[in-house]
Amino acid sequence: MTAKDTVAVRVARGAVVFRLQRRSALLTSMLWLCALTLAVAALGLGEFDLRLADTLRVLGGGGTLIEYDVVVRDRLPRVVTGLGVGAAFAVSGAILQRIAANPLVSPDVIGVNAGASFGALLVMTVAGGAGASLVLGALAGALLTSAAIVLIALNRGLNGYRLVLVGIGIAAMLSSAISYLLVRADYHQVLSAASWLTGSLANRGTLHVTIVLVALAVAVPVLLVLGRHLRILELGDDLARTLSGGTTRVRLALITTAVVLAAMATAAAGPIGFIALVAPQITRRLLAGRPVTLGPAAAAGALLVTGADLVARLLFAPTELPVGAVTGVLGAPVLLYLLARANRIGHTG
Amino acid sequence: MNPDATATAMPPATELSADRLTLGYDAEPVVRDVSVTVPPGRITAIVGANGSGKSTLLRGLAQLMRPRRGAVLLDGQDIARLATKTLARRLGLLPQQPLAPDGITVADLVGRGRHPHQRWFRHHTGADDAAITAAMESTGITHLAERPVDELSGGQRQRAWLALALAQDPDVMLLDEPTTHLDLAHQIDLLELLTDLNAALGRTTLLVLHDLNLAGRYAHHLVAVKDGRIVAEGPPAEVLQPDTIESVFSLNCAVIDDPLTGTPIVLPRPPSGDRRGG
Repeated sequence: MTAKDTVAVRVARGAVVFRLQRRSALLTSMLWLCALTLAVAALGLGEFDLRLADTLRVLGGGGTLIEYDVVVRDRLPRVVTGLGVGAAFAVSGAILQRIAANPLVSPDVIGVNAGASFGALLVMTVAGGAGASLVLGALAGALLTSAAIVLIALNRGLNGYRLVLVGIGIAAMLSSAISYLLVRADYHQVLSAASWLTGSLANRGTLHVTIVLVALAVAVPVLLVLGRHLRILELGDDLARTLSGGTTRVRLALITTAVVLAAMATAAAGPIGFIALVAPQITRRLLAGRPVTLGPAAAAGALLVTGADLVARLLFAPTELPVGAVTGVLGAPVLLYLLARANRIGHTG
Repeated sequence: MNPDATATAMPPATELSADRLTLGYDAEPVVRDVSVTVPPGRITAIVGANGSGKSTLLRGLAQLMRPRRGAVLLDGQDIARLATKTLARRLGLLPQQPLAPDGITVADLVGRGRHPHQRWFRHHTGADDAAITAAMESTGITHLAERPVDELSGGQRQRAWLALALAQDPDVMLLDEPTTHLDLAHQIDLLELLTDLNAALGRTTLLVLHDLNLAGRYAHHLVAVKDGRIVAEGPPAEVLQPDTIESVFSLNCAVIDDPLTGTPIVLPRPPSGDRRGG
């Protein structure tokens, strides 16, 4: 970060100085603008079409009862959940990619999503639960899995490489357990499980919105304080310890933030694939020096999920696809491109 | 390059020392019961055979390893009791094989050395800019500021990492085999730079070096390590004696004076006769 690419935001006569990188700030605002525009469009589009002016009028408190029902009760929770989980997945991926110094790391890879899926499926097939209990099952599954991964990886300081290996192992075990649950479930359960496992934003309500907004409300202040340590952690263990004293606590706090974000996002919308992996990688290609940054990644994640959900709803209307199907179709080629360009572990072109 | 030619009118330099320090990863300690004082304001080189524990000793002094027994002292104070923030401002490190984040520019890398001087609510200030500019200037990489680190040559890259440590403005600089992957010209180049910086700033400098002749030429003080213990310590001319080298490296050699600098030069003796034939 050199002075000439940055804008200093000074508060309290210079006692508080935040530096924003111009290009990164610009990119973030543009991506959020696109995401919000798509979000407003998504509120009006669908089987019950509204013009933009009408949508805005309904949001402002006007409109008929049925318009209110469609826009505020039905579509708004879906759209807000989409924006939130997009940002949460992307930030989670960006943190993990920086700590592991590896662009191919994401919460899906280290087993957080598998934990959520296992929890949700357990509730669905064994307890026969749905709705709120499903969400809580997913949340419990993801958080327990994350705790297990971190505790196992914590042996002798926490290193990104070990975190990934432990996570891959746990993800593999959980996916066997998921297969087992699916085999012993009945036909109808398997159908709803399949939709949940793809990641879907259909029928979102206050519960889902609350979960994802709480996750972001907790994560943002933590990252505001600890985010700068990422610049040091990615210089390797030795230098990080020299430059910041002990690093284990900071690393643990950042990894916990990342997995909790992914856990809560998965509980709210299912394991929507590729966002965590791809959003940070798209934005870093748009920035000088190709840094993995949290702000732009969050905006890109929100835009990707909102866009993908719009496509999922409208492409084969009136039949809706789960949003995860669309992010998978869009994300897989990006992943392949990244893999093809990776010349050694930890470095991509 | 007279080892005694250091300026005197400087702020008091920091003294780093180990007090009965024992270090190791497993049951068998790598460094055993070592007490050593790194002379303040001077360049000290740790020498020793592969696996002798010289890098481990440096890592222990850098607080990268927790002592099994004993303590590391900074100006007489136990380093383990210093606030981590204070310590991070006082010890600088050039690791053996540092890894630069993908695509990072030189200026960005050097700027990260300012981390211990910043707070979460007070990023980059004017003082940071000044320190970064000065660090790049004194290592001669100002013209490379906007270049990605992965595109630099080995010598330039090592200068960039050194600039990071300089920007940190520590009291003690620790370098783990800084010349290992450099060719001879770049090794000399880096060691000359360290000598200049030491003469200008009087910063206590400790490095691990493989090459005895370079250690003899550029260090004011040598510490010879064998099997985790210090076997000899002192000015190069005292440490680099044939019998000491024989015991530290199991190398049969002669020592002559460098005709250019007067510092000791180690010449390994051929086993018997000249086997290259005629």
